[in-house]
Amino acid sequence: MSAETDRAGKRAREPGPHLAERDALQARVDSLERERRRAFEDAQHEADALFAQYQLSQLVASGGTVAELAATVALELVRLAGAAGGVLFLGEAGGPGLDQVAAVGRAPAEPVPTAVADLDAGRAWARRLPGGRAVVLSETQPTVALVVWPDGGASLDDDGLRVALLARHELAVAFASARLREALEHERHELGAIVDGAMDLILQVDAEGLVVRLNPAGERVLGTTATLAIGRPCADVLGCEIAGGHESAACPLSQVLATGVPIAYRETAVRGANGAPVRVAGGYAATPSSGAGARATAILRDISAVKALDELREGFVATVSHELRTPLALIRGYAETLLHLELEPDEQHRYLERIDEASGRLAALVDQVLDVTHLQADPLILDRAPTTFASIVARLRGELDVAGGAERLVADLPADLPPVEVDVVRVGQVLSNLVGNARKYAPDGSPIVVGAAVDGPWLAVTVDDAGVGIPEEERGLVTEPFHRAWNVRESRIPGTGLGLFICRRLVEAHGGRLDVMDRPDGRPGTRVRFTLPLAEAKPVTPEPVTPEPIRD
Amino acid sequence: MSASAAAPDPTTTPDPAGRPTGPTPARADPETIDATAVRAALRRCQEIVERHAGYLTRLDRVLGDGDHGDNLVIGFRAVAALLEELPRETLPGELLQAVGHRLVAAVGGASGPLYGTAFLEAGVRADDRAVLDGPAIAAMLTGAADGLARRGRCTVGDKTILDTLAPAAAELSAALETGVPIGPAWGGAVRAAAAGARSTRSLVARRGLALRLGERSVGHLDPGAMSCLLLLRALGGG
Repeated sequence: MSAETDRAGKRAREPGPHLAERDALQARVDSLERERRRAFEDAQHEADALFAQYQLSQLVASGGTVAELAATVALELVRLAGAAGGVLFLGEAGGPGLDQVAAVGRAPAEPVPTAVADLDAGRAWARRLPGGRAVVLSETQPTVALVVWPDGGASLDDDGLRVALLARHELAVAFASARLREALEHERHELGAIVDGAMDLILQVDAEGLVVRLNPAGERVLGTTATLAIGRPCADVLGCEIAGGHESAACPLSQVLATGVPIAYRETAVRGANGAPVRVAGGYAATPSSGAGARATAILRDISAVKALDELREGFVATVSHELRTPLALIRGYAETLLHLELEPDEQHRYLERIDEASGRLAALVDQVLDVTHLQADPLILDRAPTTFASIVARLRGELDVAGGAERLVADLPADLPPVEVDVVRVGQVLSNLVGNARKYAPDGSPIVVGAAVDGPWLAVTVDDAGVGIPEEERGLVTEPFHRAWNVRESRIPGTGLGLFICRRLVEAHGGRLDVMDRPDGRPGTRVRFTLPLAEAKPVTPEPVTPEPIRD
Repeated sequence: MSASAAAPDPTTTPDPAGRPTGPTPARADPETIDATAVRAALRRCQEIVERHAGYLTRLDRVLGDGDHGDNLVIGFRAVAALLEELPRETLPGELLQAVGHRLVAAVGGASGPLYGTAFLEAGVRADDRAVLDGPAIAAMLTGAADGLARRGRCTVGDKTILDTLAPAAAELSAALETGVPIGPAWGGAVRAAAAGARSTRSLVARRGLALRLGERSVGHLDPGAMSCLLLLRALGGG
């Protein structure tokens, strides 16, 4: 039962004399009713379009990458258009062409191009599809075009296409934003890679001085992780005060945060991974934003190596000048005496011997300095070959036979030592140096015992003497260049403090290590232990060297 | 509209599931589904939405923007307020149209316009009847489903409210045509609605914000489909 017939029935029962007037009124009522219904339908229609627009805006506003946006927008637009399928083309960044960024629904009659040269090419392709339509959603950067096609025989929904066009500005903005977001993300990624890949410590703090960023190099220097450091006060993370870098009032990060003026270079110290201070230097800068968004960044380089080099240079100057001056003064003194005084021939000879001795010391010093220079070169080029340690000892004994002192050398070597793979000349230099030290610092005639034993993949060599020994606190330092233990400095035995450093570097170049320790038998003296790599377990042609007797 | 109104003869056509179709007020015959019954049904809608708002919002966090339950609570509170404002003599159709408009205005997100449309269309189909009978209710529910499909541009299988509403409307019409009284027929419609709502779990979303998720939407119930099931239950008496 419809409302109209109902009302008509009611009216029919009403009596009335003016039938014509009543019919006219009735016609008017019916017309108004039709108008009302049309208005209602129009309103519904408009509401449908508004809701479609709303849904499209929701999707567009939901962000995502260009590809995600393209896929969802294409689905929505194909639906709106009542199409069987559709393709979305998006202008290439900075170029005239358009790439196909999304294809949804049923495949069209023609193969879908992966790109079109321009909007006209897109329109031309759309015209080749039965019922196909190209809708340009944005003509400027980025160009966005939709091509849709209906199911066979069906047609597209013009209302839906109208909604799509109404939303075109929004769509263009969304695609531009997605592009921008992707570009920003890419840039952020690249900057992040630079910061993460930097060799310098990079630390960023917020306006409160709390760490907001620490790069992997910083993690290594400070012995922490970014996760642990972030959110903590920078004074805790860097430990500048504890390490003696600066007072808390003089914090350069606080300074740049407060003043906004960058610090180009400042040296300080931070607490390193092992708790010991690490000298660092670098720049500090604040981001332009102020207030709560302010950030200050420190880019610091570990300058402990540079500082060590400075100390090395100072040591070099001090030692070399002393070691050069002493023999030089002697040589000059004797030479002047020889020149100006009429001396007896035997006296002249004695003076010449002294000059020879002093110039020998000078020559040795120059050799050592040249060695040190050479050893700074990295990597040290070694001429490695499989050999036996016994043959190296035998060679040294041969040299000592000529120079004197061979009788003090005791080789305590097992007969079945496996071969080592070393640079024979360099290892010979190490052994000669260590035996030379023992001869220098141990009492005349006391034995110098060279031993060796297999220790895993290494041959552990020991050189024991009965000398003054090295004070425990000096043992880590004597293998540093130009360092001499205080007891030998006081002994007035000449030396440059380079010998053990050269030995250590040569052993390390072979991959081994060199340590100074007490003699294991508890007697006074020094044991120097160093390791050499064993030759790999492959047959080695034995060198034509007579095996060393077990006890010499 | 209340299924409980059909309770006078439960022995001849029992609810196939044997479940009560809701509390049985003293309504003697279906002819008395009048404006008062419609008001009561709408209040039950508010109650059920308030009770399940958290669940609906949790579902919506997966597929949408996580506000469906809250939005419906706001909407049906506005409806409750509206019912107080409308004069007692307001006809069921006018009542439902006003409810539709109020939902569109009060509810954020897509669910406002969609449910608003459904109530509006149901109200339009009710015309100026003072009392709603079975055929009128079937026409109203079908009108609601059609209107929602038109507004949302969705079809069954798109993982939307329609997956619940359309089978319910079809089931109701079919049952009434074969002479089943309105009470049990509504019960059958709610069961069809439940099956439809459950079916959304395995569907790929093709409408609304969940469209972004594509295949990732599979395995999750659609919050709209679930809220529609709750509303249909509430309309029928709980």
